[in-house]
Amino acid sequence: MLKRGGRVKGRTSAYLKRYWMLYALMLAPLIYFIIFKYIPMTYIQIAFKKFNITQSVWEMEWAKNNGFEYFIKAFSNRDFLYAVRNTVMLNVLDLAIGFPAPIFLAVLLNELAFKRFKKITQTIIYMPHFLSWVIISGLALQLFAPTTGLVNTALGKIGLGPIPFLNESVHWVITYIFIGVWQSAGWNTIIYLAAITGINPELYEAAAVDGVNRLQKIWHITIAGIKPTIVVLLVMNLGRILSSDFDRPYALGNNLVSNVSDVIATFVYTNGIRGSQFSLATAVGLFQSVICVIFLLASNAIAEKFGEHGIMS
Amino acid sequence: MKRRIATLLLIAVMAITTGCGANAETGGAVPPPTAQTQGGGPREGLDGTKFTETRHITVEVFDRANDGGSKPEDNFYTNYIQEGMLRDHNVEVTFVTVPRWTEIEELNNLLAAGTAPDICLTYSYPTVQTYANMGAVIDLAPYVDECKDILPNLWDLLGERNIYWDKDPKTGSIYAIEALLASLARVNTFVREDWLKTLDIPEPTTLDEFHNMLTAFRDNAETLLGADADKLVPFSISYDVGWRAETLIVSFVPDSITDKTRYIYGFDDRRLLYPNYKEGVKVLNEWYNEGLIWKDFALYGSGDTTEENMMKAGYIGAYSHNIDNAYRNGEDSIDANLKRNIGPEAGFIAVDPFPNDVGKYKKYVSPPIDRKVFFPATNEEPVASLLYLDWISSYDNRIFLQYGEEGVTHETQADGSFKTIAASGDKIMNSPNNIDYVMTLNGHKLKDQALTFKTLAQGYAGVDSRYIELAYEVALTDIVPGISVNVGVIEAENGIDTSLAKKRDTFLNQSIVASTADFDRVYDEGMSDYLASGGQAIIDERAGKWSEFFGDAEMLP
Repeated sequence: MLKRGGRVKGRTSAYLKRYWMLYALMLAPLIYFIIFKYIPMTYIQIAFKKFNITQSVWEMEWAKNNGFEYFIKAFSNRDFLYAVRNTVMLNVLDLAIGFPAPIFLAVLLNELAFKRFKKITQTIIYMPHFLSWVIISGLALQLFAPTTGLVNTALGKIGLGPIPFLNESVHWVITYIFIGVWQSAGWNTIIYLAAITGINPELYEAAAVDGVNRLQKIWHITIAGIKPTIVVLLVMNLGRILSSDFDRPYALGNNLVSNVSDVIATFVYTNGIRGSQFSLATAVGLFQSVICVIFLLASNAIAEKFGEHGIMS
Repeated sequence: MKRRIATLLLIAVMAITTGCGANAETGGAVPPPTAQTQGGGPREGLDGTKFTETRHITVEVFDRANDGGSKPEDNFYTNYIQEGMLRDHNVEVTFVTVPRWTEIEELNNLLAAGTAPDICLTYSYPTVQTYANMGAVIDLAPYVDECKDILPNLWDLLGERNIYWDKDPKTGSIYAIEALLASLARVNTFVREDWLKTLDIPEPTTLDEFHNMLTAFRDNAETLLGADADKLVPFSISYDVGWRAETLIVSFVPDSITDKTRYIYGFDDRRLLYPNYKEGVKVLNEWYNEGLIWKDFALYGSGDTTEENMMKAGYIGAYSHNIDNAYRNGEDSIDANLKRNIGPEAGFIAVDPFPNDVGKYKKYVSPPIDRKVFFPATNEEPVASLLYLDWISSYDNRIFLQYGEEGVTHETQADGSFKTIAASGDKIMNSPNNIDYVMTLNGHKLKDQALTFKTLAQGYAGVDSRYIELAYEVALTDIVPGISVNVGVIEAENGIDTSLAKKRDTFLNQSIVASTADFDRVYDEGMSDYLASGGQAIIDERAGKWSEFFGDAEMLP
């Protein structure tokens, strides 16, 4: 026994002697994560405590109702429930419309015969991804405002009434979703294009020999080839159903459509950051994170199943 | 296989960079409880009014990001203050900028991080109160009283009224000193004088005449704007309806309103809860549906210049705003732009078209208070900071800061009044009369009333003083100054003002753009949501406080 232990010990020290530099290298990112990700998590307590800026987070008094005062407050707040509803609604629509768009686009790009045209197109459709939402909302106002917007002015010239792109709830949701598609579809094609290049070209050649037409090739080879990628991405997106961007709904929203544009992130901003109700905002943020983690873990489990299936086929 | 792995890797990287996106932006550094440096009394280290050892303070200044402006924290005027403070009190001053249009958010961040300037100012008392409740604001009561003899200028300018304005009736604490609002003139309705002449319409003096005038603007768009006829907006407002249509809306408030009602229903600074407010909004709703109001008003946020650019381009017929809105900002004023773009006859004139139920042109204006100056608990130099306020309030210093150098930013007239000259370069003032530096005073306060008024009227480079005099005359007609009802903290108001203000703007916007048939429903739903979200609690608590302090009285003693 002793002998064996000694051997293990000897092996470990030899191992460490040989590889200590790798561990030293890993130390830097570890410290980074501890300082910037884990230590700040101690402030999650704020959700359960009565926030006071002059006290350290450990000294703050516990909130009422066993610390759950602010959770109760949030869930009895109608605005918060609306924000949750809107967050889910906008994310589901994004998923339904925004998710298939890059797949479609990637397949179209893949079918282009002129390589230079394909490259230029790709570059152009990536570009909106690099614009901030503040700039995009400025563009949206210039284009879609009812009286001064370019689109509505043009429609007015040919005798069509202004379309309330930004100032009526249903239209706003549509505008919001499609601006999102415009902004991100191009960028998201990268993954699918990469997946498509992974498809064995012999399959196409064999299909051509068998006299398969183009649409059949797309459906049975291209789409089938990238199916695992699609499934993985879909499941990952499902995990984000309750998470919300701040800048997109905040920049595009306005008072006339706040019944659909107020999401959890903007609720946190208005009540927490602006209204100095830090405990309430932290409670809401924590709730959102917990739901996010649950969704992510669940979707991860599903992803593993589908992943195996995807790799097997 | 390799490619497949590469693809999966790519997915993983994208997933990490896109992130879960949950926003938990709270937290941040929390300062340790501050030890008040009170050993030896507040005057420790002072020789008269000068410190024996150099002290250091930081002072908040708004950044208005104006075109062609100078750096707000480092320019001709900040140098003047820094030199003066070092010379007179041996105090080094550093300025810290806070964006004007997002001041509350920025202050929240600075206070929460414990890095707020030693002297802070804000227009929002609830913000001060929220932090005072956490013990993060210095109680100024002992300092202002004990150091009264070394703060003669501050006491002279503000007096007991403004210094004690926020004094708690029970505990005696003072968490903020109220700056002085020199002129209570506040809001005006402007119309295009040249359009009135073109269409031969007299200046409106009633709601009906005003409405007819707007209709005439709409119907004569071709005459007024020619090819740009479709851009004409008879009456423009912003998303902040309560402010930008205030003259119209409050004319529906009954003349007989009592102090009690004004206090109990006075939480909202746009007077949303005053009786009959709805009637005023209803008029806007009707006008909107008649095509008299700017269709896009609700889409642009605070600080956006779209509407102002439309005024400058000459598309807007009438609007309501700050007393001197059409004339302020020198070369870049709305008036100057109109004269450049359209012609010398183009310009706005102040009118007074909204009488109330007994024919008075009442305007509910602020009490004579302005910005709230407070010291966060991280301030270790409350006395040096008070000396700063005293220095800024001294007649000679504030006159120099407000009017600048002779021949550069003003010319002294024979009668002693100042005539403003538009300046550029490093002596340009980033705010009208450097209001951002003269933090204890808003407006003109010279040796006597007559001089003040003359200076006021000549304070607008390039504008005929006739228009300014008229603007002030109109804005001061039948004013009702705000009342000071000092009954201590209203708990229900804590931390709720920004979310309630957002609710107010939202439902006012929605009720204006509603169809006339839907107006009542949209307004009533919005109002009941406002009340349910905290408005009613405030009303109830205020009502309770009123009866506790004043019993059944309808008016203040």
